[in-house]
Amino acid sequence: MLRTDEILSTIEMLHAEHLDVRAVTLALNVDDCAAPSVDHLCRKLQSKITSRASRLVEVCDRVGAKYGIPVTNKRLAITPISTLLAGHGHGAAVQVACTLDAAANQCGVDFVGGFTALVHKGITPADAVVMHSLPEVLSQTEKVCASINVASRKAGINMDAVGQMGEVIVRIARATAARRGFGCAKLVVFANIPEDNPFMAGAYMGAGEPEATVNIGVSGPGVVGSALKRRLAIDEKLTLGDLAEEIKITSFRVTRAGELIGREVAAEMGVAFGIVDLSLAPTPDVGDSVGEIIKTLGISRVGAPGSTAAIAMLNDAVKKGGLFASSSVGGLSGAFIPVSEDAALAEAVGAGHLVLEKLEAMTTVCSVGLDMIAIPGDTPAETIAAIIADEMAIGVTNDKTTAVRIIPVPGAKAGEWVDFGGLFGSTPVAEVRNAGASGRFVRFGGRIPAPLQSLSN
Amino acid sequence: MNRYKHAYVLNVMSDDHPGIVAAVTGAVESLGGNIDACSQTVLRGYFTLIMIVSVPEQMDAGQLVERVRCSGASGSEFQVLARRWFPPEETVHGPVDRFVITAFGRDQPGIVRRFSQYLAGKDINIVDLYGDRSGDEFVLIGQLEVPTCWDIRMLQADLEQMGAELGFTVKLQHENVFVATNQLRLMALPSGKR
Repeated sequence: MLRTDEILSTIEMLHAEHLDVRAVTLALNVDDCAAPSVDHLCRKLQSKITSRASRLVEVCDRVGAKYGIPVTNKRLAITPISTLLAGHGHGAAVQVACTLDAAANQCGVDFVGGFTALVHKGITPADAVVMHSLPEVLSQTEKVCASINVASRKAGINMDAVGQMGEVIVRIARATAARRGFGCAKLVVFANIPEDNPFMAGAYMGAGEPEATVNIGVSGPGVVGSALKRRLAIDEKLTLGDLAEEIKITSFRVTRAGELIGREVAAEMGVAFGIVDLSLAPTPDVGDSVGEIIKTLGISRVGAPGSTAAIAMLNDAVKKGGLFASSSVGGLSGAFIPVSEDAALAEAVGAGHLVLEKLEAMTTVCSVGLDMIAIPGDTPAETIAAIIADEMAIGVTNDKTTAVRIIPVPGAKAGEWVDFGGLFGSTPVAEVRNAGASGRFVRFGGRIPAPLQSLSN
Repeated sequence: MNRYKHAYVLNVMSDDHPGIVAAVTGAVESLGGNIDACSQTVLRGYFTLIMIVSVPEQMDAGQLVERVRCSGASGSEFQVLARRWFPPEETVHGPVDRFVITAFGRDQPGIVRRFSQYLAGKDINIVDLYGDRSGDEFVLIGQLEVPTCWDIRMLQADLEQMGAELGFTVKLQHENVFVATNQLRLMALPSGKR
């Protein structure tokens, strides 16, 4: 029998602190949709996705209602589109992307990830088609999300790909200039891309995965922030160790609730359950913010000295609680710091407390990288490539996933606020210092060799 | 199962103070009885105890009542009820699933009645009930056995509507979410396809 205090404590977490399941992502292998004719390929793709995923939203809503925990985002992820596009050209890539968009709309999901190429060691013709179709793909579709893996611990950093992605990002921004460069918000450049990540825009299904699987992302930072504030209201004489313990316990609880939902959704969909991603994913809602947690931990201006230590502690405690709660932890599993999607981070950028370099430092100890950062539209492509290279170096050297989702806002200068709408939030344009000073480095191209850590056998 | 052939259901109520269980069990032991099951609750200073007591030789339930009633310390006489215990009749129930209802709102007479009448009308069994008035607010928590034939979303809609009429926030949730977030025991999680 349950105890009354247990029931009341869960009710508080669910209804006062708005615990939710942030993302349920159905991952599908679509490699069998390959066909010499692009029309036939698209028909197979549309048929496979809609037949396997049409019930996802209804099942998520029903299971969520049963437990009283809403599933906020329902998404699809597919195997890398570069495999399907082998032997096809630019026009086929755009047609396939439009098909994915239509299939996602038909299923009622909010995004479909997997317009992906893995180019950490080299670029195939199909990979090149994927990369260079992105300006059209991301400007002509709403729900298609793209990811390009340009670096890995084993391969090092493919600087040719990094250089090209700098240019591609500038072209995407121009192609979506009317929406302040929004197309770039649907593209992530990765080092060590995880094969089972449920979060967008970087979700795709890796080669080692089953035919279909359900991966879930647990609740956002609001629950952790509320737990810390509640604990501090009871006892002000807590140490950071006590606060880490509170985060750990909260993470345990949200992970257990998330796995419960994920497993039931998987069972109802008749597919394997994949992983629980422990990431704290903020939203623009006030309080649902990793920046707020940093403030609660005693850093009054996010970005001030201590911010990196605070987020390191948060990230670690979340993992420890989640790991004990579930034996199926995977994906990114860290605290995200997407600037426009986190009101406290955006505010700190606007006030000049949080700068690009400090964000980069913070990503050495948390997930997932320089995320949802608006930069001036006139930032040179080579500087964007160099920003990517720095972040990739952190991932490759420290054997972790890192990523860049950066938006050069056409016509915008540092300090100007831009609004991307909905969950993408709004942010001031961040200053890029030393723009234009990295061109020669990027133009060398080639591959930065894998670090010593890659030789672990 | 009970230790001896002749079993009784014993119910004791008293103001709460140390020594009640010691006194009651002493009385039972003095009759040669054995305690086969027991459960107690204390609510706002009042104590209640239910026990299944078995004895080797049949006796009058009144004898048990009298022995227990007089076992209390002077000035705090127990109110005692006892009756013969018989195994519950085997009734055929359909499959049920465990849910928890919670209701929060401004207190008024009839809250528990309204919700419990609705649940009774759906053959939903209340296996544990808690209610408490604090300030002007009332919280009601019931652990329920809900026949699996019902569409949970329809029950939720009915209860939420009833709650809205009474100014109450009402939730009906599967018990596993409370187990998952509070207890370390393993749940019967669906495994999905392997």
